[in-house]
Amino acid sequence: MRISRHATVLRCLFGVLASTSVVGCASVVTVEAEFPPPLVEELPVRVGLIFDEELTEYEIFEKIPRQATWTIHLGSANELMLRGLFEGMFLETRSVDVLPLTSTDLYRLDGVIHSELEKFEFEVPITGRDEFVEVWMQYRLRLYEPGGTLITEWPVSGYGKAELGNKEEALNRATVVAMREVGAAISTRFAKQPQVEYWLQERRR
Amino acid sequence: MTLRCRQLVQSRINVVHLKRVCVGLVVATIVSACGVTARIEPYKQTSSVINDGEQIVILARKHHATHETEPDFIDCISDSLADGRDGLLVHSSTEFEDKLYPWFEPSLAPLTTTELAELLDRPGVLAEVEATGVRFVVWLDGSTDRTASGGGITCAAGVGGAGCMGLAWWEDDARYDATVWDLQEMNSTGTIYADFLGRSVMPAIIIPIPLIARPRAAACRGLTDQLRYFLTTPFGYGPEPELG
Repeated sequence: MRISRHATVLRCLFGVLASTSVVGCASVVTVEAEFPPPLVEELPVRVGLIFDEELTEYEIFEKIPRQATWTIHLGSANELMLRGLFEGMFLETRSVDVLPLTSTDLYRLDGVIHSELEKFEFEVPITGRDEFVEVWMQYRLRLYEPGGTLITEWPVSGYGKAELGNKEEALNRATVVAMREVGAAISTRFAKQPQVEYWLQERRR
Repeated sequence: MTLRCRQLVQSRINVVHLKRVCVGLVVATIVSACGVTARIEPYKQTSSVINDGEQIVILARKHHATHETEPDFIDCISDSLADGRDGLLVHSSTEFEDKLYPWFEPSLAPLTTTELAELLDRPGVLAEVEATGVRFVVWLDGSTDRTASGGGITCAAGVGGAGCMGLAWWEDDARYDATVWDLQEMNSTGTIYADFLGRSVMPAIIIPIPLIARPRAAACRGLTDQLRYFLTTPFGYGPEPELG
């Protein structure tokens, strides 16, 4: 009886120690930043924006051997960056839920953009001479007619790095740099995509 | 007997003296091994100077894959330039990049004054730059890197106590370029190249004694002084050349 009680206490202690060590190696980062509106010429079109749950609640969980487990919450930063960006790029933006658009929005909007975060990769150095946390990410933008026909899709990527100090803060900074790069690419190159160019010309007529 | 006694005392004094000289020499060698060697090469090609009410902004070149100027070095230069009685008006780098987003992001930032002129031709960009009050952009490029290290220290602990023995040394090289652009004249005002090499040593005789050189801090001070002089003095270095 006494032996089994001791064993239970030992098991509990071991469990507490094990969970403490696991928690101690887990890093959680919620990407936080403010994204400025782009200083670009406004495109004379009205677009609907679809931000589905996959994007607004985007979360990545990665276990790196011999290092730690990383949980990165990127959802709210995704929405904040893309919404601010599109608001600065177009004459008018509006959130929409589904395609094809309902009759109310059908004639009020010129197109709909669906954004997706396709890939997110990062590297946090463990030892050696590497001094930077690096992040690479790729979004996929899909532009639709209000009726639901796909006009074009465009993968757009961004890279960011930040000097290693506090690992979580450095990862946050590198992610923000990568997101700003994505924003820079979208705001300066969106209108130059061949199909988008044609779509814009059609709308101008 | 008296003579032998005198000789013995004298030789002991000599040995003690010699030991002191040796210890002194070793200490002097170690201390003199620690230090910073500085080299600054300024080159100013116009007579532009900053006027009252005009601002400068310090930005980091971020397009290299291998290195990037440290954010705290940018802050150090910005704060030092703004400090003091003859402090200059320094615009916040982050604020400047945000107001002109996305044009000063790593992939889009102008690399030449020709690209800068093209950028300022874009709708709204010039007006935004003028609204910031910034006339001079200082592009900082470079970083502080460990270039060499050697030696070693061994530590041991026992019942009777603990101690270390040995000598470790390392060299850090703070190498930076500051390129100054004049947004009013739309040209490059000049460049300041700074190279500060710092050698640190850590002798250990029972306890390690770190004698650390700080080349990055020295580079910040040196570059700040040069930039201040550069931006406030026509032709910067010496009297204006007489023509005719």
